[in-house]
Amino acid sequence: MSRLLPFVLIAAGLLGWELVARSGLWSPLLFPSLASIAYEFGLFLSRSDRLVEAWYSLYRALGGFALAAVVGVALGVLMGRSAFVAGLLEPVFSGTYAVPKLALFPIFIFVFGIGSLSKVALVFLECLYPIVIITSQGARSVERVLLWSAQNMGASRAEILRRIVIPATAPFIFAGFRVSLPVAMIVVVITEMISSADGLGYQVIYALSSLKTDRMLAIVVVIALLGWLLDRALVILRDRLVYWEKLETYYV
Amino acid sequence: MLHGTHLARAGLLLCLVGLWQLLWVWGLPAYILSPVDILKHFFAALGSNELYQHIGASLLRSLPGFAIGTLLGIALGLLAGIARSFEQLLSPVIFLTYPVPKIVMLPLFMLWFGIGDLSKILIIALACFYPTFINAYYGAKSTPTLLVWSGLNLGAGNWQIFRKVVVPSALPLIFASLRVSLALSFIVMFATEMINAGSGLGHLIRIAESGLRFDLMYVSLVTIAILGYVGDHLLRLARRRVLAWQEPMA
Repeated sequence: MSRLLPFVLIAAGLLGWELVARSGLWSPLLFPSLASIAYEFGLFLSRSDRLVEAWYSLYRALGGFALAAVVGVALGVLMGRSAFVAGLLEPVFSGTYAVPKLALFPIFIFVFGIGSLSKVALVFLECLYPIVIITSQGARSVERVLLWSAQNMGASRAEILRRIVIPATAPFIFAGFRVSLPVAMIVVVITEMISSADGLGYQVIYALSSLKTDRMLAIVVVIALLGWLLDRALVILRDRLVYWEKLETYYV
Repeated sequence: MLHGTHLARAGLLLCLVGLWQLLWVWGLPAYILSPVDILKHFFAALGSNELYQHIGASLLRSLPGFAIGTLLGIALGLLAGIARSFEQLLSPVIFLTYPVPKIVMLPLFMLWFGIGDLSKILIIALACFYPTFINAYYGAKSTPTLLVWSGLNLGAGNWQIFRKVVVPSALPLIFASLRVSLALSFIVMFATEMINAGSGLGHLIRIAESGLRFDLMYVSLVTIAILGYVGDHLLRLARRRVLAWQEPMA
């Protein structure tokens, strides 16, 4: 019984949805049945022109995320290990942390054009913050004993960085990645909803304007699935690379 | 040492702004205004009534959404942290939906709750719920068992244990998640207003964009930046008061 308990709420939710959809109290425009959503979902997976839309979104999200990962880890480690760089950059990041970078999007459209580049740039900017902040916290808290021992044994600065600072910071780096990867998906979908002619966010808005609620929900499921799969892939990669430290949170 | 970095910081900022202004004099595209112009337009807009109406409309969406989402998140998170059956019931749902971008629910919410403010408030609440739930849950869960035992030993009841031991030890994490949620609430508010709204700062930036009113675009940008900064600062002040016993982490 207690094994089944976790799935009770999910099953009840799905059942409730189907009951509401079939009760005829609301138009199928508001509550399309699970069957028609599943049909549209299958349609999405079987048609290459739909799958290409998913690829556009994925490529924007991962492009911006990868750029932010490279720049963010470099900046974060620098900020964690050098008091001067931290003093210089810390106020910049903490001061503009709560400012929605999305407000820059209209300007980005003028600067980078309406295509993928403005979206990738915004994803980069939004993902940069969590990675930099969490990485710098990690790099700062490297155990001093380890650094001293390495210095004592004659390790060069590059060796210390590569063999001690980076591995000790790795759990934090991955924590930053995990925060910012969903952010990348969010920003891509939002920007595609606001101004785009392709990608999953655009397809959602397009299906909504055509009053195809079942198709819209199928695309929502695709986006949800993509977000979930990316997160899983990241966790698997993390467990491979940072095998010496288990993820301690329950939500893994 | 501290003095030196302060100087360097101010110098860097001045250099950047100066460079921007110089570049502008030298010739930049029309969509990039100079810092002086931005300030001029901003103060001009402060004198008119229109900006305040947009700010009011935006805050009336983001603040209720933030309040509903975070209160629910904290309450349910604490509950899941102390009650095992509740945790088992709720955690798979949360765990499955956590990495999903919540904004994709906006079209559905618009169908269900109309295209007015209610759907926007609810989507903001949904976005704010997750970080607070997870942190409140984790905070309550990681309460040192020793403290709970000592409390029990000294004859405290369940409610006292919850209020005097569990909640205080979860508070640092809860405050950290409130900061995340506040930033999220502004992002989602802005996004929903850019997608469809008849008022608010996101709407303002959209009509400015399509009307090529670059001055209004920057006014909206500066306003939202100030709102975000002030909100974050207020939270940090509240944190310092409530968590006076704890050393700030960052």
